[in-house]
Amino acid sequence: MIWLPVLGLIIGAAIGFIANVNIPVAYSSYLSIAILAALDTVLGGVRASLEKSFDATVFLSGFFFNTLLAALLAYIGEQLGVDLYLAAVVAFGVRLFQNIAIVRRVVFGRIGKRHGKEAERAEVEA
Amino acid sequence: MSTQRAFIWSLTGVCALVGFMLTVELSSHIKPQPTSGTLASYLDLRSEIDEQQEENRLLTEQIAKAKAQIAQYQAAQTNQADLEAALRHDEQQTAAAAGLTPVTGPGIEIKIQDDPLLTPVGSAAQDFQERADVWISEVVNDLFANGATAISINDQRLVTTSSIRWIQGLNSLPELQVNTVPVAQPYIIRAVGDVDHMLAELTLKDWQANFNIMQEDFIVTAHRSANGVTVPAYQGPLPGKWAKEATSK
Repeated sequence: MIWLPVLGLIIGAAIGFIANVNIPVAYSSYLSIAILAALDTVLGGVRASLEKSFDATVFLSGFFFNTLLAALLAYIGEQLGVDLYLAAVVAFGVRLFQNIAIVRRVVFGRIGKRHGKEAERAEVEA
Repeated sequence: MSTQRAFIWSLTGVCALVGFMLTVELSSHIKPQPTSGTLASYLDLRSEIDEQQEENRLLTEQIAKAKAQIAQYQAAQTNQADLEAALRHDEQQTAAAAGLTPVTGPGIEIKIQDDPLLTPVGSAAQDFQERADVWISEVVNDLFANGATAISINDQRLVTTSSIRWIQGLNSLPELQVNTVPVAQPYIIRAVGDVDHMLAELTLKDWQANFNIMQEDFIVTAHRSANGVTVPAYQGPLPGKWAKEATSK
């Protein structure tokens, strides 16, 4: 089942290539910030799943809400002449690295536990 | 188990969206320009290079001429007669370039005149009668741009200060003036130069048809022999006749 998200990513990328959608350069920064927000949400979801606190509604709503809010923030910043998108970049960037760190720790912790159990079992069998 | 399944499917959907967004973002930046644009810019670049090379060639020729002139002056420094001959040669070259000497060579002759037998087309019928100077100027410019080295209209040599005007005469009828000299129909344009190039341009622009719909004949005759066409020298006043160089006080 774990390959499904990878397959989804490949399918999404393939659709992107086939659809040949070309966004104007002016809107490129909005999409960039939206991608950053989406990545943050994905990693947040992975973290929540590993911590056994995943909620699909929160995850999906968070994805769309964060993505749109980030793009909106960039747009408003541009209208006001203030680099508001930097706020989104910093906020999502920090969270992204925090989530990655937590996911890494949880994964390594589980691997360590599994190895510990196997060693214990080997000792008992011996 | 259901939470795990919800997580996988949600993540799959979100990953698909992220993949799509990433691809769109990347392809929007990496995508090359359309083929036609690339081709157009390539052709522009080629024509730019050609122009630069042509300019370079002309400048090199000019430099070579100037060097030869300097060498001639230096050689003639000791001999007054040689210096005089060199200066006379320069004067002749300058006079020829300014159109002050008659020239003969292969060329074309164009005869433009009213022809009531031709069928006028729409509002074009009176166009030549209202602005003959514009039409003749366009023909002359086309010839100059396509191989003509000397042109005259009814034996009025065209030089850099020449004028072609459509003037209301004293008899209240418009008349064509070339170099401020009135000229009457038929208008004979004589051009010395690259015959094939000039004929090709006249054919390409379809000047004959353009004049015919204005009820004007446009008869082109090519003279390819070495003495084919003679264009007389410019006889009008030169710029230096009235204007004198200002002296600093």
